[in-house]
Amino acid sequence: MKFSLDNIDGQLVGIARLEGRLDSSNSKPFQKTFLEWLEKTPLLVFDCSLLEFIDTSGLGAIVGCLRKTLEKKGDLRLAGLNDKVAMVFELTQAKRLFSIFSNRGDAASSFAAEPNPETT
Amino acid sequence: MKTILAFREEEYAWVHETFPCVHPLLLPLCNKPFIEFLIDFAILAGSSGVRILCDGGLDALEQYCEDGSRWGIDLSYASIHPDDSIHTMLGKNRKFCGEERVMIVSGFNFIRYDKRLDYKNLATSRPTGEWAACPGGRITLTGVPAKTALDWTLAELSLMPLDSMASFYRASMEALETGATRYVLPGYGDEPGCAFGRNVVISKSVEIRKPVSIGNNVQLLANTIIGPSAIIGSNVIIDRQSSVESSIVFDNTYIGEHLKVDGRIASGNRLNDPKSGASIAMEDPHLLSGIKKKWDIRSLPRKIVHAVAALGLIAVFFIPFIILWPLLKLGGHWKSTRADFLSERTDATLPLGKVEVDSSSAQAAIAIALSLDRYLWLFRVLTGQLALIGSSPLLAEKTRPDLLLGALTYRPGVFSYAEAEDWPATGGDATIVERFHLAHSNPLSDISLVIKAFINRLQEKSAI
Repeated sequence: MKFSLDNIDGQLVGIARLEGRLDSSNSKPFQKTFLEWLEKTPLLVFDCSLLEFIDTSGLGAIVGCLRKTLEKKGDLRLAGLNDKVAMVFELTQAKRLFSIFSNRGDAASSFAAEPNPETT
Repeated sequence: MKTILAFREEEYAWVHETFPCVHPLLLPLCNKPFIEFLIDFAILAGSSGVRILCDGGLDALEQYCEDGSRWGIDLSYASIHPDDSIHTMLGKNRKFCGEERVMIVSGFNFIRYDKRLDYKNLATSRPTGEWAACPGGRITLTGVPAKTALDWTLAELSLMPLDSMASFYRASMEALETGATRYVLPGYGDEPGCAFGRNVVISKSVEIRKPVSIGNNVQLLANTIIGPSAIIGSNVIIDRQSSVESSIVFDNTYIGEHLKVDGRIASGNRLNDPKSGASIAMEDPHLLSGIKKKWDIRSLPRKIVHAVAALGLIAVFFIPFIILWPLLKLGGHWKSTRADFLSERTDATLPLGKVEVDSSSAQAAIAIALSLDRYLWLFRVLTGQLALIGSSPLLAEKTRPDLLLGALTYRPGVFSYAEAEDWPATGGDATIVERFHLAHSNPLSDISLVIKAFINRLQEKSAI
């Protein structure tokens, strides 16, 4: 997983690229790593274009991440879900919880129009 | 009139990959096997005989369709070469075709027809040649037409190639939406657009939105929403608060709680997107999973009685076995080959040693008469893997007998019911005898049938 910070029109947006599988074997360390990212910014994008598989543990971890960002008055947006991963989000109706974009650029720039949560 | 239905394996290879649990020609479209739509059309067109030609395996299909008597036609099967033309097919099946008109339906296609139309007169009077075609195949007529003036434009007939998951989904939805007005579809219902099978349990809070087709032995739990455009197969559970819309749920599937299945095909633990072709196997059984036959507590008394009787037989024949087996083995009269047989459980095979005893010596004749060739199988009764008496064990490469209206049709045994009734161990009659006893015997009658089977074998070998 790679993490980078982008400045989008004055907003500090963290972009994390998820790769491979997100399942019961790695969802707990993933959540720990996420807390480090969240300390840097509450505006986050998960680029899922290289995420091949997700199960309910992984899904639970992502929903947990969303909850933590919302507690910090930020948001977590998803980008580039492949068909298989999108099916899991649709089946479990988790899709309704997230703003989902086709690519990480669109997801990151969607924060630009919004007020900075740290200054409001 | 005769009909030839010709298929090539390459046309339906995608089905093997996408739905490996079902024979492609038995792929359910709106809860009705694909082949039945073609047979229905052949009957509408006035066929008295249908021959299915294929360059792939037809065992499962033959097992399902048998000789066609359930449709009142003669159904037969034959092989073709992938490169055979229509002309070659007709030549190879000359005897079947005779002097009659022949309709050749080639390709893995869904035929859009209307059961209310008179295809019989059309099929007999249309000129020879192509009747309908699509990129995946055609319907062709051969032979001299009858001289009747008919308006052929009335014959609503077209073909839809089933070449992908997307086209299968489209055809299924089309069959569901046009419903029983155009096709003969399974299920009961007192209003159009709703067809229910047997033993469907619907909770009070379930919402059903037409059109829907629901198979047999289905449970729809509280607050589920079914439809519109939902095809639910047999032996399916839709758990609480879930919805199934514009989707197909195959047989033996469990859909977990709080799920939304929209525009998908669920088959066992696999979820497919017909539009993109994406397919994902769910690893979480509480989301989506296959339903397996569970061990039935009602079989416990039978297993206990069989095990006790097997223990008795093991004790009685221990001394003859321990004396004769080494003698025959050393003399080369005892040959044992190991093979995998179909187990009673659908998800497992049963490795068994099959013994052949050369009956040229007196010891061998005694061993056979005492059924010592089955002696080691008795230990499998103690572990519950075999019944003491049941069906003749079938080799694993054979097709498992289908369930008939939920009744057990196969339970491998040391002795078979056919042996008890002195039927030849193979053939259709033996199958009927075995199925009858599987349905009607009780543990005690089983013991008397074991004795009969043993005596029949003893007399048979003594006669030799």
